[in-house]
Amino acid sequence: MSYLMKNRSRIAAAGLALGVLGAAGGANAQEIKMWNLADAGGGEAEFLLDAAAEFSETHPGVTFVFETFPNEAYKTQIQIALAGSSPPDVFFNWSGEDAMRLARDGLALDLTEYANAEGGFAHEMSDGWLSSFAIDGRYYGMPTHAVSKYFYYSTAFFEEHGLSEPTTIAELGGLCTSIREIDSSIVPWPLGNNDRWKLNHLITMLNHRVLGDAGTAADYNLSAPADELFTNPGYVTAWQAVLDLQSAGCFEGAPNATAHESANAMFSAEASPMIYCGSWCAAQFHGEGFTEFGLFRLPAFEGGAGDPGAGFLVPTGYQVSAKTEHPELVAQWISSLVSDENAAKFASTMEAIPSNATLIDTVDGTEHYKWIAEDMASATGSVNVLDVLLENNVSNAYLDAGVEILNGTKTPEEVMADIRAVAIAAQDAM
Amino acid sequence: MNSPFGTQKQAGGRRTMSSGASNAILLLPALSLCMIFIFVPAMLAISGSLYSYGLTSPTRDFVGLGNYIKLVQDSIFWVSLKNNLIIVFGSIVLQIGIGCVLAAILDRGITFGSTFFRTIIFMPVIVSAVAVAVVWLIILDPNIGMLNKIVQSVGLTPPSLGWLGDPKISIWIVLGVAAWQQTGFMMVLILAGLQGVPQERYEAAALDGARGLRAFWYITLPSIRNILIVAVLITTIGGFKVFDFVFVLTKGGPANATQVLGTYTYLQAFTLGNLGYANAIAVVLLLIAVLIGWLQLKVSRQA
Amino acid sequence: MMSKFRITKIALYGIMILWSTFVLMPLVWMVLASFKTRREMFTAPYDLPSALTLDSFERAWGVGLGWFIANSALITVSSVGLIILVSGTAAYVLARAKSVWLRMAYIAIVVGFAVPVAAVIVPLYQMVSAAGFVNSYVGLIIVTSAYGIPFTVILFFAFFLDFPKELEEAARLDGCSKQQIFFRIIIPLSGPAVASAAIFQAVFVWNEFLLALLLLNSPGRKTIPVGILQLQGEFTSDWPAIMAGLSLATVPLLLVFIVLQKYFVRSLAGLGK
Repeated sequence: MSYLMKNRSRIAAAGLALGVLGAAGGANAQEIKMWNLADAGGGEAEFLLDAAAEFSETHPGVTFVFETFPNEAYKTQIQIALAGSSPPDVFFNWSGEDAMRLARDGLALDLTEYANAEGGFAHEMSDGWLSSFAIDGRYYGMPTHAVSKYFYYSTAFFEEHGLSEPTTIAELGGLCTSIREIDSSIVPWPLGNNDRWKLNHLITMLNHRVLGDAGTAADYNLSAPADELFTNPGYVTAWQAVLDLQSAGCFEGAPNATAHESANAMFSAEASPMIYCGSWCAAQFHGEGFTEFGLFRLPAFEGGAGDPGAGFLVPTGYQVSAKTEHPELVAQWISSLVSDENAAKFASTMEAIPSNATLIDTVDGTEHYKWIAEDMASATGSVNVLDVLLENNVSNAYLDAGVEILNGTKTPEEVMADIRAVAIAAQDAM
Repeated sequence: MNSPFGTQKQAGGRRTMSSGASNAILLLPALSLCMIFIFVPAMLAISGSLYSYGLTSPTRDFVGLGNYIKLVQDSIFWVSLKNNLIIVFGSIVLQIGIGCVLAAILDRGITFGSTFFRTIIFMPVIVSAVAVAVVWLIILDPNIGMLNKIVQSVGLTPPSLGWLGDPKISIWIVLGVAAWQQTGFMMVLILAGLQGVPQERYEAAALDGARGLRAFWYITLPSIRNILIVAVLITTIGGFKVFDFVFVLTKGGPANATQVLGTYTYLQAFTLGNLGYANAIAVVLLLIAVLIGWLQLKVSRQA
Repeated sequence: MMSKFRITKIALYGIMILWSTFVLMPLVWMVLASFKTRREMFTAPYDLPSALTLDSFERAWGVGLGWFIANSALITVSSVGLIILVSGTAAYVLARAKSVWLRMAYIAIVVGFAVPVAAVIVPLYQMVSAAGFVNSYVGLIIVTSAYGIPFTVILFFAFFLDFPKELEEAARLDGCSKQQIFFRIIIPLSGPAVASAAIFQAVFVWNEFLLALLLLNSPGRKTIPVGILQLQGEFTSDWPAIMAGLSLATVPLLLVFIVLQKYFVRSLAGLGK
């Protein structure tokens, strides 16, 4: 975590320096306020700082204000700020319903013209990437990279005890049982669900493995008829799979009271042999000095309709506030972030999969980064995560459902009834 | 006399400004601030509760009492209201009850070290609720928390879901943390009242054989009746205003088990973006506030 | 054999020591934990730190704690000044009021005290935002002040009711206007009430959370309570840094309190009136 700190003070110092430059630049001083996730990991702050210095060489008079927010607070804060009188000019967002709603409500700027202009970001990436922030072919955001999610496991522990990567969800549960048999005090797979999204990511994938894309799409976008919404028994099966994993001894005793960072710390301190963590976690574990781990995808569900080759995939990027005073400049700024050189630089500092992969072969990443990059490239489908994909109220109901399931306060049937009721109300309000 | 407002003074004691204008100048700044930032938004909350609109949506639809119909069917709303009442009554029992005992001991029970104890017990009042909650968050942590260690060291088992993760106990933990912070406030408030009780009353009672607990019950409590009423009012108002503790300790979780009206309004408004519905919850809070305000007036007139 | 008197004494001291320990333990641990390393926090969370390292203070300070403290100080001083001034004048008029209208104004202000910020937060946010005051110190100061006024008016009102009327009467005969009487007769004699109100409001404003959370969204503008939350969000597993931040934000205030505790205690005595 200390490297983050250094970057932050550097950002502050450089922000000040750039500010002075900007003031010296003369009358047309323009300020770009940019919001990012605080715990994005890697060297994001440093990357942005260098890019900003470069950008202000070609755009004299531009000053930057970088602000960061912790993950948990970000979604709420960005809504509040955009609805208010002092929003950031450009802000990080996940591709999904939230981003689309901001576009529909007129708070996120239509970037199509700027994107297609010379040097615009539309020339830097494939249509597939561009579509992640598009509605009817109009671009309301620019993807920078995508994140995925994998099981990380301690290779030393697995070798020592002759454990192997599971190929089905049932085997995964069996793995937990074996680990508990080795030492019952070891938590095989710490969850850290106190912010509710950890389990949400898992149930996203389980829903997919059980039901497949076709089985969920109409429920997720609320287009199914009201009497059919979220009625597929596969949803209950997916929750039951969580309960089975829990009773196989996978998770810690109080997952809803444990922070995800604590769970990560348990893995990187080698107190736990396994964790389901984002692709960004690799850089974080490296940063904490733990490198002896392997990776595997969330395995298949026996008899499930989902394609086991499909991976968790959330494109992330930037949107521009409709209230910004200098949209063209801001569009040029974000476009510069996905130039061939910057995209490669971003990929190597962040160990991330960039939207512009032109120079990806020049990136000299760690073995884990290479593994992740290859795996994401070979994925046969992508699954976006429920807490950004679903309508706000339904998403919240799904998040709460996870807590109830883990606490054993509601059965899978009961939580699905709750989710259904919220979904019907949300559909009504549409 | 030199007037701070220039030379308004005139011979014969005549005032240059009418009493009404004078009153207005002195009263209006405070009154208008309260009007603009408390009463106008309160009215807007009431009117806003009749619409359905989102935080980011440009339009709003009139739904009449639709939000209220939804409200009475919303189990989380009832949980929130119940939690507010738990905090109000629980705080009256814990904060005023313990505060009373501690104050009585400081007043008549002990002499040596009373300032020392008073200072220490009052200290948390100065600390922000957010800071208090963050410290307690770590103390209550299920993996390394101090409370688990203490409970285990006396041979008991801590709750397996975690102090704040178990929906059956989490609201009581919130209540306990609030008592940790606020009891010192009540203790000092009540102590001030106790010190105003004339010594002769105790002496007279002692002649009648009333000492110790009996004196406390028959002499002390009636003598500080007014201050106890103030304490109950402050605690009640505070119990409905509670936000910080819940927001930081549990965010209303696990699964809304510790939601209170304040945090539920915030959740609906700013996380879920249902402004109209959030306003309807807020109106319930407002009605309660008006009711307590009215009680407060009744009491302050009596006193 | 011990006398009944001594047993009672011991029991009473026992109660005081028990509650004081309960109150003190989290605070002491907060300070001790700031000196621990992250590893120690997991391996030996309740032992004394092995060495006095200041690393965690550095990490916490790097988030901008200095700014948070400066912001809080600015907002507290401005708000408390504004609250005392306008509440004092208003309470004076109200305490001398005979008209029904003024009586009603007092009732409105008393009811205003019970209104939770959360109950009006939606329209309030939209109003402040429409006026372009989001992220502005002035906006937060004015709104925070508005919520400090009712309590302060109630406090002053009780004080002014007991204020000897003879002095005012003499000044009035002397030709003083109401403003003059207030600023030259009442205020100089209201030291204890002003101090009491200022202490209350300083504690409230310094610790105010919800308004600051919503109205200041820029990290550089945050106040201590919101800043602490940011600290906690960024360092969830770096507990020594969180504890160090909390210590830096609260210990100086606690020291001020210990020095001035007599006045804090006295300020509460006025409430029972």
